Amino acid sequence: MWREMLQALPYILGGIGYTLGVTVVALTVGLVIGVLLALLRVYGRRAAQNFAAVYVVVLRGFPSLIVLFIIYYMLAALIDLPPFLAGCVALGVCSSAYQAEIFRGALQSVSPGQMMAARALGMSHRQAIITVILPQAFRNAIAGWSNEAAIVVKDSSLVYVVGLPELLRRAQQVAARLYAPFLIFTVTAVIYFLLTFATNRLLGWLERKTRIPQMVAAR
Amino acid sequence: MNRWKIGSLFLVLALLLTAMAGCKSEPANDWERVQEAGKLVIGTSADYPPFEFMNENDEFDGFDVKLMEEIGRQLDLEIVWQDIGFDGLIGALQTGKIDAVIAAMSATPERDEEVDFTQPYYIGKDAVLVATGSGIVVNDKEDMAGKIIGVQTGTIQDDWATENLPGDEIHRYERAEQAILDLKSGRVDVVALDYFVASAFAGQGGVEIALETLFSSEHMSIAVPEGSAELLAEFDRVIKDLQDSGFIEGLGEQYLAGE
Repeated sequence: MWREMLQALPYILGGIGYTLGVTVVALTVGLVIGVLLALLRVYGRRAAQNFAAVYVVVLRGFPSLIVLFIIYYMLAALIDLPPFLAGCVALGVCSSAYQAEIFRGALQSVSPGQMMAARALGMSHRQAIITVILPQAFRNAIAGWSNEAAIVVKDSSLVYVVGLPELLRRAQQVAARLYAPFLIFTVTAVIYFLLTFATNRLLGWLERKTRIPQMVAAR
Repeated sequence: MNRWKIGSLFLVLALLLTAMAGCKSEPANDWERVQEAGKLVIGTSADYPPFEFMNENDEFDGFDVKLMEEIGRQLDLEIVWQDIGFDGLIGALQTGKIDAVIAAMSATPERDEEVDFTQPYYIGKDAVLVATGSGIVVNDKEDMAGKIIGVQTGTIQDDWATENLPGDEIHRYERAEQAILDLKSGRVDVVALDYFVASAFAGQGGVEIALETLFSSEHMSIAVPEGSAELLAEFDRVIKDLQDSGFIEGLGEQYLAGE
């Protein structure tokens, strides 16, 4: 059984490409939308704040799998996305709702004195947000964001429903052929662990690397 | 949450529902369109040996796969495989993501309302599995009454148990292998599934076939989108040829017998 498992391992590992591809693109989509939503929520006009709040409430309430079904199957008549893109957009849109809250918290954790000081130096409101508040907020967000990154790595397994042979689906196929679910899924769990571990190590490094020595987040 | 927010929340939901109402009305995949493309995109669920699975060379393999590839040869069309979970196959077909489905699928009346089926290419039988040494005796399918039953979601075994044993505890699994795991660990007493899939599991040990039976005449058919009359006729013609020539019987001996 071990021999067959080892023979099938390269095939299973081949799914990592899809897993990581979907994860990276989805996180990026979620990052862009999430930061915009957070900015609207914190600095936008009343209507923009409400829009951002409703977006977060609605998208956090939908299971990712159903969002994926909606985008890939139900909206196919409007936009016919290929499976990979549909997966990235669906997971990205779902992730954006969570990322919006991460960045809202990060923006609000920057001391209000920073904005006042920036304005006192003659910066415009927008300039102050971009050059003073956001760089600090991004640093504050890394810890919460690495949580979200680990979640999206595992959520990426959902894209098998639109026919992408990613890591977990390949493991299912091999488990079905070899009649060895325990062995195959244990090995797969270890692979996922290594992926999330590496992701969090990378983000931990980024967090230390970008830390501002004298700065402590507002209490 | 203020009134404005609640109002816009409902607006978003209403928009989504409107968008969804427009689905399922994709134009049927016509024979001409398929011919022009020179290929057939076929959906299957490659977790169901010996009918469809990924072999050790990482290729689609199994009774259904070899049959479909022969049909493709006869129609001079390339077969492009798409591995989709069994539950998602009908939806993918209805929305035009795939041209046809071959997945040991029976042409039940409920499914027939959603898609069209070819004539059966294979008439199968069912089995009831029990854990080895459990001492559970099943002489007739009605003997499953009062036991905890495991089935794969959406299969004809599921339909039969749901309809005929409404008072019993039925555990529904996404994949056959999950039902077998629970059978081995005693969470379910019996598992009802296709005979050849069952005998493949029995060959692995730990479970044994307690009963060979028919839950409904298990006619396996290829599914095409509703209204794809010409494509359906082409499939039917080739299936008949392959039955007459003995090709399908030969495949059955190769993949289904001797487990």
